[in-house]
Amino acid sequence: MNRSLVILLGALAVGAAIFAGSYYTSQRTCTMCVSNPADKLAWLQDEFHLSNAEMTHIRALHEGYEPKCREMCARVAEKKSELAIALGDGTNITAEVKQKLVELGELRAQCQAQMLQHFVNVSQAMPPEQGRRYLAEMKKFTLGFHEDIEQSMSDHAGHEHGTN
Amino acid sequence: MNSEDIKLQELLRGNRSAPAMPPRFQQKVWRRIEDADAPAASGSWLDALAGLILRPRFAFATAAVLLIAGGVLGTHEGSLAARHDAQARYVAYVAPNPLR
Repeated sequence: MNRSLVILLGALAVGAAIFAGSYYTSQRTCTMCVSNPADKLAWLQDEFHLSNAEMTHIRALHEGYEPKCREMCARVAEKKSELAIALGDGTNITAEVKQKLVELGELRAQCQAQMLQHFVNVSQAMPPEQGRRYLAEMKKFTLGFHEDIEQSMSDHAGHEHGTN
Repeated sequence: MNSEDIKLQELLRGNRSAPAMPPRFQQKVWRRIEDADAPAASGSWLDALAGLILRPRFAFATAAVLLIAGGVLGTHEGSLAARHDAQARYVAYVAPNPLR
């Protein structure tokens, strides 16, 4: 093989190795230094530029919300297992199954309302502009989740109708 | 050699016509001699590039640029990833999947 070509390919390989090594090392170092897995609320302070006093208030709000959230999770899980038992191995949707679905839906709606109320409380503990941004972000994560599913399902249905 | 031979030789020498030199013959001869003495020019752009890569100053400068560029880009990506992870942790904490 041509000597110049070997030199060029070798230089490219060395250059790529230097770049990749530097990239991955700095990426990992930065991720490890910046993230604090122990503090679940750290993101709030960084993202919304909150003062320590505001964070103390918000931490108290979260501590008040946590047991309610845990209880709701337990109730939803219980209702889901009741639904699974009602569904059993049968192929029919019985009246009991329908009832359980309604109850699960109601429970989820209660839970979402409680969650949104918590987000409103937290947003009010922030400076107004940051509070609005926080609320918009949280709505996207809680309500947007269902909107994404519904959107994807309606898109899918639309495609199917189009092909028929 | 007798005298007649000498006369004949002189006659022949006088009769020989010197051919006319092409224009700037001497200059062209010297140019060809200079070209032959000069080091061979690089064959292609690949040889020129290889020559450039092998220069220590160029090699160190390129390595430094790549190192810095990789570091800056990695730091940027790392901070974005850390921010994304922190956000995901918070969302999982306040809105666990079963509740959404």
